[in-house]
Amino acid sequence: MYKLILCMRYLRTRYLAFVCIVSVMLGVATLIVVNSVMSGFSNKLRDRLHGVLSDVILDTDNFAGFREPPDEIAKRILASPAGSHIEVMAPTVEVVATIQFQFRGMNVVKPVKLTGVNADVQSKVGGFGQFISGQKHLAVPSFDLSPEALRRFARNIEENAGLDEMMRDKAALDAEKPSESDFLGKGPRIQMPLDVPVNIPAPDLPQFEAPKPIGIFVGHSLAHFRYKNPETGLTEEIAALKPGDSVLVATLAADEMRPVWGTFVVADYFKSDMSEYDSQFVYMSLADLQRLRRMGDRVSHLQIKLKDVTPKSFTFVKANVTDEIQKLFRPYEVRAATWEEHQGPLLAAIDVERGILNLLLFMIVGVAGFSILAIFTMIVSEKIRDIGIMKSLGASSRGVMGIFVWYAVLLGFVGCSLGTVLGLGITYNINAIEKGITVLTGAELFPRDIYYFDKIPTNVESLTVILVNIGAMSIAIASSLIPAYRAARLRPIQALRFE
Amino acid sequence: MLLVENLFKTYRRNVDVVKVLSGVNLTVEDGEFLSIVGASGSGKSTLLHLMGTLDTPDSGAIYLDGRRIDQLSNTQRDILRNRTFGYVFQFYHLLPELSAYENVLMPAFIRESTLGWLKTRRQWRKRADELFERVGLSHRKTHKPREMSGGEMQRAAIARSLLQNPRVLLADEPTGNLDARNGDQIVQLLRNLNKDDGVSIVMVTHNLDIVTATDRVVKLVGGRVAEEPAALHFTPRLLSAVG
Repeated sequence: MYKLILCMRYLRTRYLAFVCIVSVMLGVATLIVVNSVMSGFSNKLRDRLHGVLSDVILDTDNFAGFREPPDEIAKRILASPAGSHIEVMAPTVEVVATIQFQFRGMNVVKPVKLTGVNADVQSKVGGFGQFISGQKHLAVPSFDLSPEALRRFARNIEENAGLDEMMRDKAALDAEKPSESDFLGKGPRIQMPLDVPVNIPAPDLPQFEAPKPIGIFVGHSLAHFRYKNPETGLTEEIAALKPGDSVLVATLAADEMRPVWGTFVVADYFKSDMSEYDSQFVYMSLADLQRLRRMGDRVSHLQIKLKDVTPKSFTFVKANVTDEIQKLFRPYEVRAATWEEHQGPLLAAIDVERGILNLLLFMIVGVAGFSILAIFTMIVSEKIRDIGIMKSLGASSRGVMGIFVWYAVLLGFVGCSLGTVLGLGITYNINAIEKGITVLTGAELFPRDIYYFDKIPTNVESLTVILVNIGAMSIAIASSLIPAYRAARLRPIQALRFE
Repeated sequence: MLLVENLFKTYRRNVDVVKVLSGVNLTVEDGEFLSIVGASGSGKSTLLHLMGTLDTPDSGAIYLDGRRIDQLSNTQRDILRNRTFGYVFQFYHLLPELSAYENVLMPAFIRESTLGWLKTRRQWRKRADELFERVGLSHRKTHKPREMSGGEMQRAAIARSLLQNPRVLLADEPTGNLDARNGDQIVQLLRNLNKDDGVSIVMVTHNLDIVTATDRVVKLVGGRVAEEPAALHFTPRLLSAVG
């Protein structure tokens, strides 16, 4: 009973203990905020990474694609033990390419990942439809140009008609050079000088008269330039490409070593809020890309979506799906991997960063523990005569030690409670706090041009909060043990005589 | 009866050795009010502390009602100090964060668990109220030690020492920090407690003026009880006769 009374009384009257409480409180709050923000970033990144990629991806290093047609491959996979876990499979072609377009007098060229998809099937796999900016409301996005895009396209044609005429005349005069056929029947021609080595044949595109412009989806960052407005200090973006603008996309053929290219029209943007994808991906119809590259019906990738009831843990999917699929193919020809394996380095980097940050922060809490040790040593020193009084009245050594250990428990509890409230309060209001600090200091704490999120993502994990509290309490209690033990060992008369 | 047999106690600090008690023999009868006098450094307080198991002797023995108490386990000594002995110190030694009432109840707080306290708190509070009445401090129950005078604090300490009806009350210079008037009041209080409750009291003091209130006076000289045949046990009458 005396332990409880003295603990409560010391808590109220020993202002030195307030320092302990503040130490624990700040340590706990910091750990909660940092872990919540890191978890938010990690989850958002994982969601976006997974959102773009399917659960399992089958691919090949053969630039011509899989040897077998996709239907055959799909049949073999469905017949295997992995088949029972699969909901839908979408064939795609993914190749490296370049995109070229004109913007304010500049000739802009960017490397891209050109992906040919069957929009209908790909939408069922996921990671596609929901990222097409102007068609999120549609179940299946379309590569057809919208009326506004068509109007812009027609306007562009008119503006470039003179230039087009001039270029046709020039080409007609130069009879030695092979005529360049546009992949597109109409549309502005973008002339590019060819410097073809002797042993590679000149490009020879099939004569193809497209009845209408072929639309593509271009990554949002490919089509926009971000910059900091010097007047407002805010990050703004300007559209270099708009729906209806034409671009030249060049890649390599599948049947032999030669470049192929075509002129396409931007139908919409692809915006996943993942800079890696938005700055590289260009989508077009699978059939068009297969035709451009002369692939026939071959594909280079198979995107596999698992059933909802299938456990999605990496271990389960690896053992029951990807490994089973891999057994059907030679490993050097076809590779079956989960989405985590495709993004392994990035996810691992996030986990390592989080682990290191937690270690560093816990070391800071450990430093707080040393301050608690120092403070408790001072408190015990202050209380030596009181210890003598209590022992003279019959308090046991264990009881005296218990006073100070319980005192540490109480301080830790109060510190952890306040720290948890403070940490959660900051976490749930972090964006408002960030805005406030930005307004006060003028410095943007969370630059939107660096981070691709509009606001700081957070995710409070209950287990993390519990573990942080347990860790902080343990440090507080451990820090009190040595001073408490020294207090307990004092002989009554020794303590009473202490000056 | 409290019996001290051939008690030795030496303090060592590095190479310094101080022999404080060199074979003390003493008996305290039940209900006796004994005072121990002697010059400063004669070992009076050390003897009192050993008798109250606040310290352990180097050799010798201490018996309480025939039971040896100097070699008990730590737990047994804790119980003895809590329930059998009462202590009054020169500097009061009240806990500063607690009120006078809580200080007086401290032996009960130490004795009882939290659950035990809930069951017995009424009887302890009643006993504390009685003691406050007896020592004349009922109006100061809620005051902290820093809000009380020296005499009031010493009376609170006496009340605390009596909470559990101890067999022996050990008072170490109880008037040492008080003026003459307060000192007399304290000694008178102790005398009344001895007469009314039959509590054995052993009081250490260097103030010969107050020993007249006691039944018997023992003088320590050179770490031993003085062995002058005629003055082996001083009575107050004798003391006043020899000055």
